[in-house]
This record gives sequence, C-alpha cells and structure tokens, in this order.
Amino acid sequence: MNRRSLIRKLTYLSLIVILLLPLSYYSQPATVAVGNEKARAGGRLAQLRDQFQLGQANLGEIDPAGETIKLATLGLRGVAANILWEKANEAKKTEDWTGLQATLDQLAKLQPNYISVWRFQAWNVSYNISVEWDDYHDRYFWVKEGIKFLRRGSRYNQMEPRLVFDTGWFTGNKIGVADERVQFRRLFREDDDPEFPNHRSRPQNRRDNWLVGQEFFEQAVSLVDDRGASIRSMNPLTFFNQPGMSQINYAHGLEEDGTFEEKAKVAWQEANRRWTDFGNRELNTTDGFTIRLNDLDLTRGKVQDAVAKLDALAPEARNKIREEKKAKLPEADRKVLATPVETRSMQEARQAYDAEMKLFVTHQEVADRVKGEKADEAKKLAEEILYLDGMARAIDRDRGTINFTYWQTRCRMEETDSALEGRRLLYQAKQLYDDAALPEAREAYERGFAEWRKTFKAFPDMIEDGIGSDDLVDSIKGYAETLKKLDEPFPEDFILKDVLVGYRKRNPATPLPGMPAPDIQPPPTPGH
Amino acid sequence: MVLETQYPPFLEWLFLWSGSTPGALWIWLAGVGAVALGALIFSFIALTARYGPHKAGDVIYKVLASSVNDIFCISPRRVFALARLAVQESIRRRVLVGFGVFVVILAFAGWFLDPGKTDPAKLYLSFVLTSTSYLVLLLALLLSAFSLPADIQNRTIYTIVTKPVRPSEVVLGRTLGFSAIGTALLFLMGVGSYGFVSRTLDHTHELTEEDLLPMEPMEVAADEGGEAGKQGRTGFTTGHRHEVQLDADGNGETKPAQNHTHRVTAVQRDGRTEYVVGPPLGQLKARVPVYGKLSFKDRSGNPTDKGINVGNEWTYRSYIEGATQAAATWRFNNLRKQDFPDGMTLEMTIRVFRTYKGDINRGIGGTITLKNPNKPEVKHVLKNFVANEFSVDRHVIPLKLTTEDNRTIDVFENLVDDGELDIELTCLDASQFFGMAQPDVYLLKREGSPWLNFAKGYVGIWLQMVLITTFGVMWSTFLNGAVAMLATIATMIGGFFVQFLTRLSLNQEYGGGTFESLIRIVKQDNVMTPLEETYTNTVAMWLDKIERVPLWVVAHLLPDLPAMSDVNYVSSGFDISPDLLLIHITTALGYVVPVLIAGFLFFKVREVAK
Repeated sequence: MNRRSLIRKLTYLSLIVILLLPLSYYSQPATVAVGNEKARAGGRLAQLRDQFQLGQANLGEIDPAGETIKLATLGLRGVAANILWEKANEAKKTEDWTGLQATLDQLAKLQPNYISVWRFQAWNVSYNISVEWDDYHDRYFWVKEGIKFLRRGSRYNQMEPRLVFDTGWFTGNKIGVADERVQFRRLFREDDDPEFPNHRSRPQNRRDNWLVGQEFFEQAVSLVDDRGASIRSMNPLTFFNQPGMSQINYAHGLEEDGTFEEKAKVAWQEANRRWTDFGNRELNTTDGFTIRLNDLDLTRGKVQDAVAKLDALAPEARNKIREEKKAKLPEADRKVLATPVETRSMQEARQAYDAEMKLFVTHQEVADRVKGEKADEAKKLAEEILYLDGMARAIDRDRGTINFTYWQTRCRMEETDSALEGRRLLYQAKQLYDDAALPEAREAYERGFAEWRKTFKAFPDMIEDGIGSDDLVDSIKGYAETLKKLDEPFPEDFILKDVLVGYRKRNPATPLPGMPAPDIQPPPTPGH
Repeated sequence: MVLETQYPPFLEWLFLWSGSTPGALWIWLAGVGAVALGALIFSFIALTARYGPHKAGDVIYKVLASSVNDIFCISPRRVFALARLAVQESIRRRVLVGFGVFVVILAFAGWFLDPGKTDPAKLYLSFVLTSTSYLVLLLALLLSAFSLPADIQNRTIYTIVTKPVRPSEVVLGRTLGFSAIGTALLFLMGVGSYGFVSRTLDHTHELTEEDLLPMEPMEVAADEGGEAGKQGRTGFTTGHRHEVQLDADGNGETKPAQNHTHRVTAVQRDGRTEYVVGPPLGQLKARVPVYGKLSFKDRSGNPTDKGINVGNEWTYRSYIEGATQAAATWRFNNLRKQDFPDGMTLEMTIRVFRTYKGDINRGIGGTITLKNPNKPEVKHVLKNFVANEFSVDRHVIPLKLTTEDNRTIDVFENLVDDGELDIELTCLDASQFFGMAQPDVYLLKREGSPWLNFAKGYVGIWLQMVLITTFGVMWSTFLNGAVAMLATIATMIGGFFVQFLTRLSLNQEYGGGTFESLIRIVKQDNVMTPLEETYTNTVAMWLDKIERVPLWVVAHLLPDLPAMSDVNYVSSGFDISPDLLLIHITTALGYVVPVLIAGFLFFKVREVAK
C-alpha cells in the first residue's frame, strides 16, 4: 500500500517536472549585457511580452498593494471588480463620499490598467460629485480629487495619452469654464497641496489652470509623437489642438481677470503661434488623407491649376459633354431647368436638382475626350484632381469641426493694439459702473466701442461670424444701463449697431438695447 | 449619519402591535411555530411512508418526549467540560493563526488606506470593524462546520457519546466552546484595532511665525473686543491643513478639517514664539443623540407626509422650498431639564438643492424656530443660519432666551410642554431648497465614550460570530464537513443579502428573478425595459413567480446579519444606544435558541448519538 502510494507520488512529481521544463524554456527572462556576458532576449514568452509591451513594467509603475489584491482575489478579480463598481454606484447614490473614495481606491488597485476605471470614475468625481456640494471650496476639493485620481492612473499607465489628456482637460476646462471659475481659478493659484498640482516648482506667474492644463496636453502629445503611444478612438483634431486652445483660454482668462497690455498681448501672440503650429501639423483623416489644416488655400489652388491644365488639353470638352447630356435629358427635365429658379415649386426644385446632377461633368469624362499621346497625361490629371479635391474637402471639413478659421482670426485680432485697448477700456468701464462713477464709465464704454470699431474694420469676418463679437453684447448692455441711470437715451447711431443686428439674428428672443423688442418670448428662467 | 431604519425603544419593538406591524416577539412566535409545525408534518409524512401512521406518531411522540427531558435536564458541568474540550480542540487546530492574519492585515493596512480622505476616522473605523468581522466569521465557519463531522469520521465521537452525556449537551457544549474561542480572538482584535485606529489618526501640523499674519481689526468679532490676534494656515499633513485664528497671546483652536480640530499654544523659546499644535480633537466621537419625529408643511403651510422630491433616485431625504410656508418640524419627546443642564445642543446636517446658481459666494440661508407643540403661538426664532452640507452643524440653545423686545423665555418652562418641543426649520432663499431626513437633526444629550462605543460595535460582530457558529454546529450535526461548511457559507452569504433576497422575493428588484435576468443577460437587454410578451418570456416570468415562494420563506428565515452590525454608528461617531444593543442581542437569541434545538434534534436522531 505504502509502496503504491510512493510510486503514485513520484509519478505526479515527474509529470510536474516534465510540464515545467518547456514552460521554463519558454519563459526564460530577458537579460542585459553585464561584463563579457551578452544581452539575451529571453524565452519566447519574454520576447512576445516585450514585443507587445504586455509586461507590467511596460505599462507603468507597479503597485505592490494592487498586485496583492489581485492575488488575494484568487482568480475572482472580475467578480470583485463587479461588486466594487456596484458599491461605488451605491455609495454615490447614498452620498457616502468617504465610502466612495475608499471603493474607488480599491477598484483602481484591482484594475490598475483598465483605463475606463480611471477615466469614468475621475469624471464622476470631478464633474458629478463636485456639484453635489453647495460650497465652492468643497466643489473645488472634489474637482481636485478627480484630477489626482487621473494622475495616479497615469503613473500606472505611462503609455496612455488619454489619461494625461483628461488631466489637462479637467485642469483647464473644469476649473476654467465652470460657473465658479473665478473662485476656482483663485483657489488653484493659491493651492499648495503637495500632491497637486506641483505648484512648488512652478513660478508664481505660471500658476494658471490653463497653463498647467496645457502642460498636460503637451505631455499627452509628446507621448504620441515621441514614444509612439496611440490615441485610440480619440479624434486627432480635438486631441492635438488642445495645447493651442489652452493658450487661447489662458489669454482670454487673463483679460477676464483684468490683465491687459503687454502680458495679454504676449499671451495672444503665443496663442497665434501655437495655433499656426497646430495648423501646420500633419493629421491623418478617416478617409485616408494626411492633411495640414493650414494647406486649404494651397490645395484648392492646386486643384484649380490641375483643372485648368486638363481643360487646356481638351478645350471646350466640358461644355460639349454638358450639352450632350442636356440633349439626352427628358423634355420635362429640360423644361424645369428652363424655369427661373425663383418661380420653381418645391417639386420642380427637387426635379431641377436631380437634372443638374445628371448634367454634372466629371474630370474623368473630360479626360476621356483627350485622345492620342496626351491621353495618359489627361488621365493622370483627372486622378490628381480627384485626389486633391478630396483632400481639400477633408481639410475644409476638419477646419469646420474645430472652428479653425474662427480661432485663427481671433488670435490675430486679439493681439492687435486696438483689440487689447478695447478690452481694457470695457473692463475699466464695468469697474467704474460698479463704483457708481457713471459719466466716467460712459466715456470708457464709448472709447472702448470706438477701439472695437477700429478692430472690426481690420477683421470684418469677426462680426459676420458672430461668435467673435457676441461677448461684446454684455458690455453694450452695461453701456445701456449706464445711460439709463444717467437719464440719457441709447444712441440711434450706435457705433456697433451691426454687432447688435448680427446678435439679434442668432438670438431672436433676447431683448437688446437700441433694438426693437423681440417677437419671441424667452422661456421662463427657473427661480425668477 | 444616514439611518434608513430607525428602531423604536426595545420594549415597543418587542411587544407593541402598532397598525399592521406586530412586535418582534409575535413575529418570532409565529415564525418558529410555523417552522416547528412544518417539521412535524414533514416528519410524520416521511415516517408514515416508512412505518405506517401509528408507528410514525409513536416515534415522533417518543422523540419529542425524550427531547424535552434532554433540554430541561442539561447539566451545566457537563456542558462546561464539553465547551472546554471544544476550546482545546480549536487551539490544537491552530485557530490563533487567525489573529496572526489580523496582525498582518493591520500591518499592511497603510497600503490600502489613505489618511488624506475626507473623513479618515470613518474610513479607518469601517476598515478595522469590517475586516475583523469577516475574519472572525471565517474562523467561526471553519471551526464549527468541521468539528463534529471530523469526530464522527474519526470515531472519536464514541469516546463522548458512550459517556453519560446528552446530545443536547454535546451541541450546546460545542457551540459555547467555539463561541468562547471566537470571543477571545475578537477581544484581542478589538484591542489591536482600537490601538491601530488611535495611533494612525494621531497627527499634528507645523505652524510657524511665517504662516501667520496679523488679523485685521475688522476681523476680530465685536464681542471679543481686545487686541487683534493672528490668522493663517497650518502646514500640510495627511492630506489636509487647518485655517487658524489665534488670540493676541498666540493661543487658540484651529478650524475643523477632516472632522477634527487642534489646540494651538504659543510657547516662548530663545526669545522666539513657537506654536505647538496639539493632537487631533474630536476625531473619535460617540454622540448620544435624542431624535425627534419629523413632519413637513408644504409651500402653503398645510401638513404633508413628505417634502418635495427634487429628482434624486435615493428618496431618503425630502426637500422644502425656500421663502414659502414650507417647513420641516422635529417633535422631540421626553425632554428633561436635568439632561441639558448647560443648555441644549442642536446638531444638524442639511442638504441644499439650488434651482438656480444664485450667489456662488454665499450659502443658502435658513431659520431655526423653537415652538411649544401645544401652543403654536409660543415660539422663538433661535437664529438664522447658512446650511453646511455633509458635515455636522452645531447650534447651542441656551436655557434662557431673550426676545427682540428684551423679554426672557425659559426653554423648559415656556417652550417645552410635557417633555415635548418642536424645532422648525425653514429655508429663506426663494426657489432654493433644503433637504432633510429624520435623523439629520437631533439634540445632543452628551458625548459618550468613544472606546466604549467601539466595544459596543464589537458586540454586533460578536453576535454575528455566535450566530454563524450556531448554524455551523447545527449543519454539522447531520452533514459531513465539506457540505456543512457549504451550508454554513450559504447561510452566511444569504444572511448578508437578506434585504436583497426579500426584495427579490417581492419582485421589487430591477431585472426580475433568476429566469428573467438570465434572458436579459443573454439578450443584453437593460433592466428597465419590460420584456416582450413572447412565449419564452412568459414561461420565464412564471418560473420566477414560482421561485419567489421558497425565496420568500428563506429570506424570512435567515438572520439579517448586516442589521446586527453597528459599524455605521461607530464610524460616524454616534453612540450605540442600549435599546439598539438589546434589540440586536434579542434578535440573535431568537435565532440561536431554535437553531440549537434543531441541531440537538438532528444529532439526537442520528445513529451515532443513540
């Protein structure tokens, strides 16, 4: 009996050893060169781990507590994570903030390389939980907690630009755009929490949430550019434009805080430079082009040149093809095309559109008309036009997506002396109004509007675009209030009347000084 | 502290039959009676199938008659001897390793706990109490489930049952023995935990001359008078710092942060002033509250059951609208002057809901009014206040109040009527709301002893341990070790999820029962959309309906283990009242006695014990 038992044990032991041999061979660790000994790539598993960067050390810092928890769950990590997510939701629902913080810590230790934990829960803390508090000091604390959470996530996932990007976004936008932004930005400047946001090594004039956010965005971009990290499903346009946007927001924030002249001018110049750099950056589009946003005019010019060359190879071919197509159109279509546009009914307009589509002459059709030795050249030109036209459309579309032209013009406009002076005067006017110095306020307003008139003369698009001039409307309302208190009428020939007209078109329900009362009633505002 | 269930006084809970809710004793009697009757009927049917009805009745009678004798003639001496045997056996099985594991957990707790959180005391107390609870329950499970089956398998049980020992004594002896060893372990863990929490929370801050600036004369309160002091901020420690205002001598107390303060004392050393920041004050608390009964008035001043729901999924708190006649009134009973010799302390935690931003720099204001319940015209506006969310706001009610026209009102003579006092809260800001639940406002009777409260928190864990031990021993009387352990684990897990099981059995859980959930998981349907009326779905719904019956029975038979835990009280700094403790002990006893009797009966009818 004992002998049988011994044989059985020895058999098991032998089997274990046999199984361990190939495993040991495949998992030999990589070694570095020491003295005369050369570096070795290690076993197959080590090589694969290195190739796909799957080793824990490749991902980021190793957290002993996290590793312990993972082992302690004995393979039930999924179940544990599920329970913790539920617990976190329950803690949030029942407003148990200490419990929530502790649960998030455990969750992060259990799933340190699952990016959604960091992104989702950081958002939850900074955006959803912070607003549960009434005092803005508490709100700021929770916004900070979310940012700290992201920073910890970045340490464990050093090749993850999305976490660094989010850190920049929270630091810039959550602190700088919230309703409490004035208070938040002040608290941020005064913050000397050693865990956040590393102010001690930062000069006083760089303690601005937008600039700190910009640093994080630059780190995220550097991860992609210098270390080959992937931004995965993020839109490259809204990923790479953030360092520039942060600078724009910083410059705007300076003016909101009452800083003008040289500092603001330099900030806007830097914004202009960064935006231009962004426009020169090569971006991959979803339709396969590599574009630069600054190349729109250049690409369109190339298209026109190529079209001219093609038309030169086949003079009059384009018109001829169109006439041929027109001849083949049914009588009804020809009749509707002959009808003046303004007298067409809806159905006729649709029919005319379809007919126009049928008459459209492609560059390929023009190229096909070129015969003989120039036929190949024409064909290549047609293909080139098709490619360049697609690229120009892609650039135009992507520029529209991020309002590229507007920001470009805005940066150029804001750095001018007249715009800076205009903003300074309007800020001063508001201060004077608050101090009840009404005649001085009126004068400052009027001088400010005069500067803006000068500015818009150089940048007329900014009125037509609307967004550029909308922030002036508050100042115009302040001016109207000042005049009202001085018992003076709002001037009929107001110097920025065109700004008001443009604003009314976009906001037909908003009452405006010097404009007729709106036809549409605004919806009731809660609490008033 | 959030208290979703507030228990009535012990005797009321035990005996009173209010409305449709009978006292706990009557529920217990009905439950135990139903189970006993069910067991009798089942035994009779089973024995009838085997021996016929006459013999079946005879067997049942004999077993019951001898059982009564076994139960009422238990010898304490023999029970003690068997309990001692169980303790020795536990020590032989190296149960003290459990304490070693606990020490290791405490040693590495710093890896998992961040003292920089909003309320570290709550975090640390929850951690030690919860980890102790899980560890002790695990030990109770392993000890109780394997002991008897191992003895039966090794035949060592014959050395006991062949002696003049009753089966009831074997079961009781084991249970007491294992409970005793669990108690000893729990005591050691309790002492270790309290030391760990106190030491870990202890900290101080740096405060130097450079951190302080002279206070503006305007910032010195008018009633303080005298010389202006200094103000500033302490250094950063464990994720927080304190604002500090010192008097002209450099002494004072810091403002609260992370629910504690520090005393600051100025010391002259080598001609320089040094500031000594003392240990944290008020981190560990045991407030003894007097709760009132909450009622609401709507915006027109009419009584209403609840306030407004502002759209929260969690309906724990109700809201009242500001600048209307809406009000929340707490009626306090049995107030005695001798309980509040230095005046009353009103503590409250009020939630705010803004329908518009308003002034960000200013909180939402409200008014506290004291009213005589029987003479509503006799009232006094105590003060206006600004709501301070998620922290305890303290307001002192002096025993003598002065009205605007300089009259003096004696709280106990004029406002408290027959021991009753109404405290009314209103919100002052238009279109803004205050949210409250009954336990959010209370009168502070006194500050209890934190360590005593900590010990009371351990009583809850101890009761859980005794219950699991009793169940483990009961299952082990007729199941083998592994199966007994599984049954005990099932009891334990079921016990922890009793509330969930009850909701499931009453079809109150989103996503339905087992079968409906299965369909939703496979089809990846969300839990809110009703299932389509297909044949499969209908069958699944019916199966769920059938399943709910046994589920309801199980949910009502299992002990509600989380309800016995008072971790929430200890970690939130509230005293566990004697009434609550009695309710827990009685509930545990209500399970222990029938489970022991069941264990004894199972063991008695086994061949080994005959």
